[in-house]
Amino acid sequence: VTGASREAVDSTQAGIAAASRKRDAAARPRRTSGRAPGEPHRIAWLFLLPGALAYGIFTLFPVVQTVRLSFYSWDGITSKTWTGIANYRAIFHSNEIRYGFLHSAELILFYAVLSIGIGLLLTALITHVKVRFLTFFRAVLFMPQTIATVVVAQAFTWIYDPTGPLDTFLRHVGASSFAKVWLGDFTWALPAVGLIGTWISFGLVLILLLAGAQRIPQELYEAARVDGAGFVREFLAVTLPGIRNELLVAATLTTITALRNFDIVYNTTSGGPAGHTEVPSWLMFENAFQFHQVGLGAAIATVLTVLISLVALGISRFYRAERA
Amino acid sequence: MKRSWRPRGLGSLAIALVLVACLGVGVALAGTTRGGAARAGSNPFAHYGNITLNVWSADNQDPGPEPVIKALAKSFQKRYPNVTVKLKFYGLTDYLKIIQLGLASGNAPDVAEGNQGFATDSLLVKAKLIRPLDQYAAKYHWYKYYPPGTMAQFRWTPDGKTYGRGNVYGVGQFGQSTGVFYNKAKLRAAGFDPNKMPTTFSGFNKLLAQLRPKIPSDQPLAVIGNKSGYESMHSYGLVQGAYVPAVSVRNWIFHVKGATYETPGNIKALTLYQQWFKNNYFGNDYNAVDENEAAAAFAKGKGVFYLGGNWQAQVIRAGLGSNVGFMNMPPGPSGKYVAVGATSLPWHVSSKTKYPDVGAAFINWLIAAPGSAKLMYSQNQVPAILGAAKPPKGQAYIASISNGWQQLVRDNGLTLFPDWSTLTMFQYLGSQLQQLTAQRTTPQAMAKAVQGNWNAFDKQIHGK
Repeated sequence: VTGASREAVDSTQAGIAAASRKRDAAARPRRTSGRAPGEPHRIAWLFLLPGALAYGIFTLFPVVQTVRLSFYSWDGITSKTWTGIANYRAIFHSNEIRYGFLHSAELILFYAVLSIGIGLLLTALITHVKVRFLTFFRAVLFMPQTIATVVVAQAFTWIYDPTGPLDTFLRHVGASSFAKVWLGDFTWALPAVGLIGTWISFGLVLILLLAGAQRIPQELYEAARVDGAGFVREFLAVTLPGIRNELLVAATLTTITALRNFDIVYNTTSGGPAGHTEVPSWLMFENAFQFHQVGLGAAIATVLTVLISLVALGISRFYRAERA
Repeated sequence: MKRSWRPRGLGSLAIALVLVACLGVGVALAGTTRGGAARAGSNPFAHYGNITLNVWSADNQDPGPEPVIKALAKSFQKRYPNVTVKLKFYGLTDYLKIIQLGLASGNAPDVAEGNQGFATDSLLVKAKLIRPLDQYAAKYHWYKYYPPGTMAQFRWTPDGKTYGRGNVYGVGQFGQSTGVFYNKAKLRAAGFDPNKMPTTFSGFNKLLAQLRPKIPSDQPLAVIGNKSGYESMHSYGLVQGAYVPAVSVRNWIFHVKGATYETPGNIKALTLYQQWFKNNYFGNDYNAVDENEAAAAFAKGKGVFYLGGNWQAQVIRAGLGSNVGFMNMPPGPSGKYVAVGATSLPWHVSSKTKYPDVGAAFINWLIAAPGSAKLMYSQNQVPAILGAAKPPKGQAYIASISNGWQQLVRDNGLTLFPDWSTLTMFQYLGSQLQQLTAQRTTPQAMAKAVQGNWNAFDKQIHGK
């Protein structure tokens, strides 16, 4: 079941790669013949075979299997019963699962929108003024990406604890009415989980955007300044257009991370309180492995995969339309 | 312990568990080289020659059940020298995911623990992976050890659909019930005599009301952890017991026809329980801490009471020393003690084993071997069987915990765990209780919703 969402990422990344290949191909003059004379043709398939086999066995087969299971009622051990689209109907009739998808939408705000916002702001600043020790800061800001999410989740559980640093700080500065049981609060648990996502994502976003910004010729900035462009104007006219592609990649990656979110939720709230931080991956895990409703779990996985693919496709469409 | 523990997917914890499991196997293997002459006396299993009994367990807490099981396996080998017991311990969450597949595989263990309820044991029975043990229950007098109210948790019809009736598929080793831990020093400081605790539920309710103003308002009066939601099932069970007979809770878990959560008694209990939260008896951080953290906080002096499982006895004792007392929740008008509780994970015999009689003898050894009770007390575990030897004199604390269990068994007052009632009740009831305690639902609405979950599953098992 878990292979499915991973597959979506692979396919999205493949999609991005394909898109850029297409652009490259368009730029290059077309060759008249498909291949160089004398170049072996059929043998290529033989070289592809091991990779294709591994991909087929470990990625395609589980995906097909998951989709197949989603049409059955199965406890994971005794025989399966074909139930048609009953599992999918259950998804659309279950408030709990619907809320799970809505929670994911809210998490996108934190994982993607907020982290890209912060990333853009920092990129604007860094391109505008010369920052010393930039390499050092880049490394530090990228750190969250390299730490295991379980560790991150544990650290934030501590930070959010009623006796942890956040509430202690709030009480010390006289804002004790703002101190909360963050991860156990019906209103604040989901934003609290979301902010962990922001913290994880924005380093990656920043690195991507900075990489793009560094490729922008310095002359453009000089020209903009000569024309009297201020900080905002310079950012909108020079930096932003220069980092379009990187923005696309950042948006796709962070959105997928938000939709796939499992480990952070599992290790901080386990979906609580009262289901207020449940997300589709969690519901899939819970149904398939704790409730022994493998079919329903597989159906959730399938819906999630389709959704992720659609969102990723939508983002790249949106950007292509923008470019055109 | 099964209901107290939900180990998270921490890498470090996982590694630790693997290490513990490896050590366990290592020690078990080391234990197979037996020293000393075997006791004479008849060995009904001699005709098998040298055999190995593979045993899987999820009771891997040490100190706690694991050393007890290991020691009993050792003495079993001494008693039956041709039998080698090979133990394998797992963490519970992992275990529950592998046990079905393990028993279905070609390398199935001969004896293994399951888990009561529709999520695990029902499946094992339905898939015919474990065998009925009625003949051994009669042979080893298990009916005497487990009165009907306790035995019911091991009974299934062969299709795995009817719970609480039918064949006996196993028995559990340790008694795990819930009750009231109290901090004697704090009671004294508030002007109450810890040696004169209330003997009725209404008396206890009154005590709470009297104590509340004497404790700082930012401190809880009673400590619970309810991060996962299931924990409040334990403290709620202590209130429910005063209003609802244990047998009707059990019948509801067993899906007896006509059983319902929407009884006047239950609504009354839910209303009072919600009122306790309104009265600020539990403080405000219970939704952020889990059961183990809450017990540890109580052990460090937070609150006057801890409402929860006797499986926390060791932790609490380590913190509070002689300042801790334990009692069952005093009974309601019926005069019968009622509380959430059950035995530890039930031991089953695989359908594939070649030595079912040895397997059953091993289970009997685990629950009632000579000296087993003493061994359990030494690890702060409570023997599940009625009439087990009493704890040594001078150990008032473990005696109060053991007496608490025996009292509940004698009164047929174990309600079992309500989350066994459906595949999803663990999560669903927990979530509903979290909403109730946060004043986000009413007792009536909650009872209706919970019954809705029950009805949906009832349709699944009993047909439309």
